[in-house]
Formats: sequence, C-alpha cells, structure tokens
Amino acid sequence: MVESSIIAIPESLVPFFPFLRGILGLALIGAIFVGAMGAVWIERKLAGDIQRRYGPIRVGKFGLLQLVADAIKLFTKEDIIPRNADKLLFKNAPIFMMSSVFLMLVAIPVGAVFIDGVEYPLAVTEMDISVLYIEAMSAISIFGIFMMAYGSNNKYSLLGAFRNFARMVGYEVPLGISMIAVVVMTGSLNIVEISQAQGLHWNIFLQPLGAIVFFIALMADMGRLPFDQNESEEELVAGWVTEYSGMRFGLGFFAEYIHMILGSFLVALLFLGGWNVPTFISDHAVLGLIAPTGFLLLKTALVLCTIVMLRWAVPRYRIDQVVDLSWKRLLPLSLINLVWAVGLGLYLGA
Amino acid sequence: MEEFVGSDEMILHLGPQHPMQPGPFRLNLKLKGETVVDADLEIGFIHKGIEKILENRTYLQGITIVDRICYLVALSNEECFVGCVEKLAGIEVPERSQYIRVIMGELTRIQSHLLGMGEFGEFIGFVSMFMYTIKEREEILSLIDMVTGARITHAYLRFGGVREDLPEGFKEKALPVLNSLKKTIDDYEEMFHTDSIYRERTVGVGTLTADSAKALGVSGPALRATGVDFDIRKAEPYLVYNDLDFKVCTETAGDIFARIQVRLNEIRESIYILEQCLDQIPSGPLFPENTPYGRRTPVMRVPAGEVFHRVEDPRGEMGMYMISDGSDKPYRVKVRGPFFPTLQALPPLIIGTTVADVAAISGSMDGCTSEADR
Repeated sequence: MVESSIIAIPESLVPFFPFLRGILGLALIGAIFVGAMGAVWIERKLAGDIQRRYGPIRVGKFGLLQLVADAIKLFTKEDIIPRNADKLLFKNAPIFMMSSVFLMLVAIPVGAVFIDGVEYPLAVTEMDISVLYIEAMSAISIFGIFMMAYGSNNKYSLLGAFRNFARMVGYEVPLGISMIAVVVMTGSLNIVEISQAQGLHWNIFLQPLGAIVFFIALMADMGRLPFDQNESEEELVAGWVTEYSGMRFGLGFFAEYIHMILGSFLVALLFLGGWNVPTFISDHAVLGLIAPTGFLLLKTALVLCTIVMLRWAVPRYRIDQVVDLSWKRLLPLSLINLVWAVGLGLYLGA
Repeated sequence: MEEFVGSDEMILHLGPQHPMQPGPFRLNLKLKGETVVDADLEIGFIHKGIEKILENRTYLQGITIVDRICYLVALSNEECFVGCVEKLAGIEVPERSQYIRVIMGELTRIQSHLLGMGEFGEFIGFVSMFMYTIKEREEILSLIDMVTGARITHAYLRFGGVREDLPEGFKEKALPVLNSLKKTIDDYEEMFHTDSIYRERTVGVGTLTADSAKALGVSGPALRATGVDFDIRKAEPYLVYNDLDFKVCTETAGDIFARIQVRLNEIRESIYILEQCLDQIPSGPLFPENTPYGRRTPVMRVPAGEVFHRVEDPRGEMGMYMISDGSDKPYRVKVRGPFFPTLQALPPLIIGTTVADVAAISGSMDGCTSEADR
C-alpha cells in the first residue's frame, strides 16, 4: 500500500503528470483562498455562538457574503505606508508571508482518489522529505511576521516581533520532536507515506501524548490564542499589524488563516489517519473518488473548529509563561513521547 | 521618569488613546525588553471642569451635571450630590424614596462591576468575557431604564426624594433577572477558579499591600481586596443601609484575582440587598410632606454652610464637599472621586512587571478616567 502512490501510476499518464500537478496547484490556490474565507466565516459564526450572539447575518444568506464585502473594503482602502517605515520590508513582507504559506501548501496532500483500487494522492509535489520541508516553510512564514513588524518601525510592532521570535524558538522544538516521533514510527519523512501507513490505526491512539504536544505547539506556531502574544490587541494594539491597512493587511491576515488551515491538515494527516478509509469504500467506483478526500476535509474542518473555538474560550498567556510552558513542560513531554514512539515502533516492527 | 534611556531600553507611551484604557490617560513606560523598569502617569486629558460648571448652575441643574462625572455610576454620583444638599438644607427623605435609592444604587453597582469584569477579561485576551457580562449588564440596565427612563444618564434623584415611583410590576420583573444573575455569577466564579491560564495571569500579579493602599487613599474593591474591611455603607451608613443585612466582602491577597473575586462577591451581596429592599419597601409618599420639595422643585435656595457627604460608589469612596452661600447655586463643590487615588497606585504596581501585565493590572482596577479628571 505504501508503494502504490509512487509506482502504480499507469504509464500512459506519466507525460501528463507535470501538467496535471500544475492544474492541481492552481486549483489549490483558488480553493485555499475560498477555504480561508470559509475559515474566517466559521470563526465569526462560532465566536458568535460562544458569545451568545449571531455573528454575521446581514450580508448574504447566513452572512456568507460578509467576507466578500470585507475583501472589497480591504481592496479599496488606502495603502498607508508610514514615513519612517523600512519601505523594502514593509511592502514586501506580506507577499513574503503569503508565498511561504503557499510553499507549505505544495507539499501537503489535500486528499486522494482511488481509481480501480489504485491510490493517487492529491499533492502538488511529492518529495521524500516533505515533513521537514513543511516544518521549514512553517518556520519561514514567522519570519514574514517579523519582517512586517520590524519594517513598520513602530514600538508596539517591535515588541510583537520580539515576542514572536521568543515564542518561535520555544515552540519549534517540541513541534519538531513530536513530528520526529511520528516519522520514527513510520520510517519515512514523506507525509504521504506517513498518512498511508497509519491505515485505520491513527497515530493519535498510538501516541496520544505526542498528538497533544503537537497540537499545542502548532497553536503556538500559528499564533492562535492563547498564544497570540505577537498580536495582543489590548496591550500592543494588534502588534505586528498595527501600521498595516488595506490589502497589505489583508494578505498578512489571509496568510495567517491559510497557515491555520494547513496546520489543521497537518494534524489530520499526521495524527488523525489522513484520508485512509476501509477498503470496501476505497474499492467502490464512486465512493473511492470522493470519500477519502471528503474524510480528510472533514477531519481538517473538525480540527479547525477546535482551534477556532479555543480562541474564544481561554485568556492569553503572558510571553514569559509561554516560553516556560514550552521549555519546562512541552519539551520534556515531547521527549518522553519520542522514547515511547521508538519503543512502540520497535515492538510493532518486531 | 529619568530622561536617560540606556541602549537596551526604550520609552513606550501607552496612551492617551489605547485599547486598554478606561479613558484617556498616559502611561510613559521605560522598558527593558518586556519588563517595565520605570513608569510615569499623566492625567488631565479629559478634564471637563465639572466642579466649575456646578458653581454656575442651580442645584437642580447640578444633578444632570454630576451624572456626567462618570456615566457608568451616574446614580451614585447623584446620590452624593443630592445627599450634600439634603444635609445642608436639612431635608428628611421619606423611607420609600430611601429604599428606591438603595435599589438604584445597588443596581448601579452590579452593572458597573459586570462591565468592569468584562473589560478586564478583554484585557487579558479573553474577549468572550466581555460579551458574557455585557448581556447580564444589559438586563440590569433595562431594569434601571424601567424606573428612570434612561440607561446611563438618568437625572433621577431629587432633593428629598426621587423623580418617579417604581413602576407597576417592577418586583416581578426584577426578581427573575436577579435569580438568573446569581447562577451566572456562580458560573463565572467556577470559570475563574478552574481556568489555569486565568489563574496564571492573575494570582500574585499586581499585588497591592494594605499599607500602600491606605497611604494612597485607594478605596473600593481594590482596597477591600487587600483585606481592609472598609465600606462607607457600613462605616458611615447613609439611606437605609443600617436596616439592611449585608456583609463587607474582603479578600486578603490584594492581587488581581482577589480584586475580581471581591467584585463577584459584591454582586452577590448587592443581589441580597436588592431582595431585602424589594421585600421590605414600605408604601408612602416619595417626598417629605408639607415641604416645597417635589418632582419639580422651584428655584430653591440652600442655607449657607459647608458639608461633606460620601457614598460607596462601585469603584470606591465618592465624596463631595459643598459650600453654600445661601444663593440658588453652590459656592463651591469639590469632588473626591475614587479613581484618582486608585490611578496613583498604578505606576508603583506596574514597575517590575511586563507590558502584558500593565493591561491586566490597570484593567483590574476598573476605573473611569473621566471621573479621575472630572
């Protein structure tokens, strides 16, 4: 099963492969924008539910067009660049941020189709070290935040940028180690293979501790509450985006949401069994085409909703507490999980 | 603050316009990284000259002016102003009016505490808290609206009584609201006690000692959270507080957690007071009989003299010193608001903490800059 994605491609399709992947990539970019807008809508609706109010209801059915209205507003707003800003950084940082999340996107399989029982993962690229690559790109997008904040030449933004780095240094370590634990068990750095290898034995059951550490570290990585110290509207006046307006702000904002969606995909792929379905579904002519992708999207949406709801249910940590939490609690836990994963891997492998 | 800034330090001006503030004031912070090494407070951005305006208005007009000292606690400001005039003119307020005033005062306390807690929640990043408490506050405001006809600036109290009687069915409307509020307060308490992030952000942060609180003149929940058992309603009872059963809520820690806990308990006590008032309220006239005082008091002259009257505002001790020269306008009114001293306690508290705690500590004081500047 592990080899199927790489080897079992019909010979006649091979020349079209780069072309197909290109189309998939373009479609994904479009879909992820729609997805990000959907995530914003879900966030507002869930926030409304949690806070005993409606959320958007005025624009379109269920307020669905609210995001379109917001996008029009962002596009037509004046693009203000502060006089003392570092123009090069200020102008290009949102683009940098957006590119880095798209670079993350290319390595993430967003589903799979089964044609005659043969599995074709829907990934733009399939590289052997995709887990490492995704982790690297995720870290680079944080540099985008730093560039935005530093280029603004604003003291609030600067504080936000410092917090961002303090947090990143703390959280990339447990995040990486809990990823490595999964990699060790599977014996592959390829996210497609990790996802396939789980079958119906999801990693969250095999490594519950690792899943929890990964989820918390991912929240910190994405800068979601309780870990949004770089933004902290109340004390730092939105921190890294204080000086931004119009579509430059919009790009940064959307990049954050896309990052969040991709993070949810990672949780679903690494710990929640990816797109794996029982064979009677994948062998089915029609269900095999849609069910695996559908399942993956469903899992991703559940993770996304959890992340979103957590934001409205908890207060924010102070930055020193965040660093404490990372080094004193999450890092030891992730190491314990690594040892556990190695032992379990040896036991299962034997 | 020293002008010298080291190479690893920077000056950050928080305010006068900043999301964490209850009104415009400025905190000049000297930061070393995230740590506040020096802090300096500037106020006066919203000075409205209320005291001077009061000298140029008749006593009746003054009631609408004191509403604007801080609209959140308008009824408590009115109580203080009207109380001064009543002391000077020797007006005896009928018992029914006294009870109505207590009811309105306690409703004001509840809604002010609710808003204060909600805002504080927002300052530590818990935005939902604001949305929760604002709903309960809205129900309390509707009760106040039923009686006074306005949500925030009421001009409801009159010399010797109140403008309107309680409307028909007020008790029947108020009791369910208060009962559901009791449950909600229990929920909030459980939330505060069990949420580990909330505890980490509040326990042991911004600890005010009883001595420094007394030295600075801090009053209200911030003082009671340090363990000082001081409440004007007990220490110098006005209206019918002597006949009512309630206790002064104190905590000993003096930190943010204790201040919020005091507010929660005070809301409970206020509900208890309200229930007693609604049960015991006697029928009778609103204004003293056979006197010129009434709903539309004609131009009244107050006998010459000096008086100081204080009431327990939701934020602390609200006092007014009034001098009358026998004319229809006060000669001088000095307002002693509770937030001015509390604000002075802020800079020493925030030195040594981090920027994030500045928002939390200043939010937990639950002030109103408008009232500090007047």
